Amino acid sequence: MQITLMQGILIMIVVFICAFDKHMEAFMWFRPLVVAFFTGIMLGDVQLGLKAGAVTELSYLGLLTVGGTVPPDPLFAGLMTTVLAYTTGQDVTAAMGLAIPFALIGQWIGIATNTLYAGFLPAVDKAAQEGDEKKIGRIMFTGQFIYAIAFAIAAFLSVYAFQSGIAAFVNSFPAWLIHGFEVAGGLMPAVGLALLLVVMLKGENIPYLLAGFVIMIITNCQNILPVAILAGAIAWIGYTNDVKKNKETVTAEPAEEDYSDGI
Amino acid sequence: MASENKITKKDLNKMAYMSLFEQSCFSFERMQAVGFAWGMSDCFRKIFGKNNEEMGKALQNNLDFINTEPHMAAILQGLVVSMEESGQDRELIHSLKTGLFGPLAGLGDAIWWYTAMPIVAAICCSLAGQGSVLGPIIYIAFWAITAIVTRIWFVRMGYNAGLTAVKYIGDNAAALTKAAGILGVMVVGGLIPSYVSFAFPESLVVAGNVSIQGIFDSILPSLLPLVFVFVLYWLFKKKNVNTMKLIIAVIVFSIIMAAIGIM
Repeated sequence: MQITLMQGILIMIVVFICAFDKHMEAFMWFRPLVVAFFTGIMLGDVQLGLKAGAVTELSYLGLLTVGGTVPPDPLFAGLMTTVLAYTTGQDVTAAMGLAIPFALIGQWIGIATNTLYAGFLPAVDKAAQEGDEKKIGRIMFTGQFIYAIAFAIAAFLSVYAFQSGIAAFVNSFPAWLIHGFEVAGGLMPAVGLALLLVVMLKGENIPYLLAGFVIMIITNCQNILPVAILAGAIAWIGYTNDVKKNKETVTAEPAEEDYSDGI
Repeated sequence: MASENKITKKDLNKMAYMSLFEQSCFSFERMQAVGFAWGMSDCFRKIFGKNNEEMGKALQNNLDFINTEPHMAAILQGLVVSMEESGQDRELIHSLKTGLFGPLAGLGDAIWWYTAMPIVAAICCSLAGQGSVLGPIIYIAFWAITAIVTRIWFVRMGYNAGLTAVKYIGDNAAALTKAAGILGVMVVGGLIPSYVSFAFPESLVVAGNVSIQGIFDSILPSLLPLVFVFVLYWLFKKKNVNTMKLIIAVIVFSIIMAAIGIM
């Protein structure tokens, strides 16, 4: 289906807001689940947005900003998965595979602004020296807006301006190639989960991984919450024991505050 | 030395909101420096009044390299403000800040990005996948409440309990990170069978009439997704394959499998 100019503008506004949040990573509006939902609303197909968001969110789980690196962009992934499924009529799983090149656009914007903002620092230093916090604020918000505007423009071009070219290109693919992207879409969550494991998995944790896996296959339950609650209970036991051990070894510990409940 | 507290609860709450911009103007050179310093600027102004020279020194003291987890930054901001207010040595403040942002980043990543996000995403995606708008709505609500409540709480924790609180967290960071690791890893284990779809079509048979997928299922259901995640894990961890290369490799693999008709 065609995307109208009005829809293109509405999506541009959505992307502006989501990218504004992405720069801060405060409200998680840049995550595919949220971006795809809003995009679906703007396209008048909420169901499509929900399905596209669910598939993409999980695939981009492990692709996180760690230590200042810039990963493939979840915002563009959520946006373009929805848009490509809408314009080309392909299944959302295939659309997610096709949307990967667009996730790189967001990544490049991030790298460009991270570099650009290093150039803002001398002005910030000068303002700090003068004790002018208002000026620091102005510079900071300039950066904040440049980022969101760059995303909005790139989104408008991909979603509206070049839509027929992109759709025609995708629709010229033979069926086996589209199916290949569909298979890739189904495998992509493995990349995100493997990346999470690279950070979290330690030798001592392997039993918990296997326990979570086995519980899910034997219960055939599609809901992760029961496993999460059980995992939380086990983690809690471990934490209490470790803190007790800490207290025994570090006797001179005055810690009276109890933060163990929430964090 | 300030004889009485100049910072009120209202100032602290305002700092919590300003702390949402902690990552604004992120640059490769000094990462979150600008947003981190700006977030404290209203409280600094309250402490130093019209004394721009002191104001400038306090700002400059917080404008060098910092990279922590955005939620956790609020604890540091509360701590720095309380130390500035009681007129403590800037070098002490500076070295504390520099020493603490790393451990806090590790803890914050473990809690928010590697544990909370996979759990919340999995629950909300399963709702969204079934076509319910509650999926993205719960997701948005969870992160909005988290973003505001944790920052208000953390700013107060850093400010009121000061060094004791931060020392308590520092002492127990290892235990907390370990507990979050158990929780996260078990959830990831549970996500593998439900979200990674690696299966051969029923039509693919050997030795006359035996379905290949049937053979794998009779060994262990979801065996192939588990193996696939571990192959990717091994490539990331041991072979240091770059994320983008691996994603492209997954797509190429899928297209080849689709083209020769075995997936």
